[in-house]
Amino acid sequence: MDFCFTTDQQDLIDAAKDFFDGENTLERMRSISKGQKVESLWPQFAELGLLGIMALESDGGMEQPLVLMAAIAEAAGYSGLPEPFVEVAGITVPISSSPEKLISGSSKLAVLSELRQYIDHNLVNGTKVKSIDPLRNLVKVEGIGSDKANYHGAVLSAAQLIGLSQRMIDISVDYAKDRHQFSKPIGSFQAIKHHLANVYTQIEFSRPIIQLAAINGGINVHIAKVTAIDTAMMAAETAIQVHGGMGYTYEVDLHLFMKRAWSLCGEWGDRNYHMKKIEQYVLQGDAKLGPGNTFN
Amino acid sequence: MNIEFTSKQKEFREEIRAWLSAHVPKKRLKSFDTEEGFEQHRDWERILAKDKWGNVNWPTQYGGRGLDLISWLIFEEEYYRSDAPLRVSQNGIFLLAPTIMEYGTEAQKARFLPPMASGEEIWAQAWSENGAGSDMAAIRTKAVRDGDHYIITGQKTWSSRAAFADWCFALVRTEEGSSRHKGLSKILIPLNSKGLLRRPIAQLDGDPGFAELFFDEVRVPVENLLGPEHGGWGVAMSTAGFERGLLLRSPARFQSAAARLVKLYKSREKYLSSGVGEKVIQAWIDTERFCAATYQLVSRVEKGASISSESSANKLFWSEMDKQMHRTAMTIMGAQAELEEGLDSIENGRWLDGYMFSLAGPIYAGTNEIQRNILAERVLGLPR
Repeated sequence: MDFCFTTDQQDLIDAAKDFFDGENTLERMRSISKGQKVESLWPQFAELGLLGIMALESDGGMEQPLVLMAAIAEAAGYSGLPEPFVEVAGITVPISSSPEKLISGSSKLAVLSELRQYIDHNLVNGTKVKSIDPLRNLVKVEGIGSDKANYHGAVLSAAQLIGLSQRMIDISVDYAKDRHQFSKPIGSFQAIKHHLANVYTQIEFSRPIIQLAAINGGINVHIAKVTAIDTAMMAAETAIQVHGGMGYTYEVDLHLFMKRAWSLCGEWGDRNYHMKKIEQYVLQGDAKLGPGNTFN
Repeated sequence: MNIEFTSKQKEFREEIRAWLSAHVPKKRLKSFDTEEGFEQHRDWERILAKDKWGNVNWPTQYGGRGLDLISWLIFEEEYYRSDAPLRVSQNGIFLLAPTIMEYGTEAQKARFLPPMASGEEIWAQAWSENGAGSDMAAIRTKAVRDGDHYIITGQKTWSSRAAFADWCFALVRTEEGSSRHKGLSKILIPLNSKGLLRRPIAQLDGDPGFAELFFDEVRVPVENLLGPEHGGWGVAMSTAGFERGLLLRSPARFQSAAARLVKLYKSREKYLSSGVGEKVIQAWIDTERFCAATYQLVSRVEKGASISSESSANKLFWSEMDKQMHRTAMTIMGAQAELEEGLDSIENGRWLDGYMFSLAGPIYAGTNEIQRNILAERVLGLPR
């Protein structure tokens, strides 16, 4: 029993995080949100081998488990990455029988599922719909997914939500240190501190269950998604409150992360879908509950 | 990352499960905050210790089995699954023992750990004072050095288990004229010392779970100093880390309560309004989250990481979770929620007891407001 990443895995996660944060800067996201063209990071994803994280070694991939992909998805969420990288590397590639073109970056594909109604328009054709997230260009889709796609989708959307939650807290902390009222930084007031500490705590207690879901699947997948949704909504509402009037505008970057969080809450199974699964398991089923069952 | 239990760990689980099913008292013991219940629980500690089950992660020479912390988690899971009695020795084994292992001399380890493990010496915590609760650095009880003794004068309060315990571990001011965090020391004091008076305090359930301690020139030998003289704050914080962070409240305790809550819900479902089910589910979800997070923390500790400010998040999480869970039980029980054991009571008032105790969780071991300050300032980096 060792529920920690190895040093090698942690290095890989850190490298991916540095890459996302370094390339997908706030300036870049602001430009996209204003409709300006920016250079796609896709060629670099391919070059760094990131698209093949989960692909078999025989297909030229790194053959890493979903739990590692989840940590990378968290990093992608943290940076607010607009490209559908998690989608392709974490969902399409693992279910594809010939992923070479996907890994090399020459093609991009999304997976349809009954758990999603909207997909990035670069990936499939369909009728355009308008998201409040200025970084998402969506089309309406219909389809039936596979268990594996739905499982990966739920875990990876949960992981991205936790990355987004962390980012919203981090930018709120920065804002609270900088913004002065009553001649003091507002972050020195306990009312602000306690709100942020509560969200921090929820984030810390979301990550491990998402990792467990990535490894073990089963009911943990539903717990992971519900938990991530609740944490992200709490993080977003806390962040806007800490930002005060500024948080309600396009003048600060919070809205970019908040809107992405709203989007991901509904994708790959919304709260109702996953909560109903848990309800069946806990209240209606005869599953073994109580100590000693979580890791067995 | 590998979340499989080893075959040794699996065997260990089977072994402790079998032992518990043969030894756990069939009849629930009285509360350990009554005189009779305290001795019943002490006897249970003796039974545990006789077969070396009391402290599986302690070194063998002090009464343990020398196992890792994962095995300790397995022990806890089986312990709460079997509904075994609460540990009257918890202040000693979970809070003081790790501190003795870290700061104690070899002589102190040999003197204090074995009788703690066997239940012969049960410990109380003596930190808070009337004027030093959340502001613990305001401690005024003083210890003056007199040759090879300290002479202790002052007053401690909210001292858990002190009504019936044998020893206390106190935080006192040893350096004259010192203030705040400096000049404090941790001293181990027999509760039957001459000049030491204890006044039991009735807790919310009416039993004396606390005592107030009055020290009137109590003489304690210098060898009872734990850790550096005047360096007691650091020693105490190490105890607080264990208290908030890991040992005192393992996930199994809450997971077992959540499973009982689901049963309670199912038995009363037809009377309940529609939102109650989701509250039950949330309680169960949170205990699973707490379990996953604890296994991760233990995995990190086993690899050499230490527990620091994140223990505050731990304490915040379990105490709020426990309160919500028990409040949901109170909601489900409706008019019967107020009943103690006897006619019409549900599980002999166990949920009511649990609810009252859950209200203490956000207060003891440093109030949740203090924990939030710690997280905001030391982890998030917000200004003081």
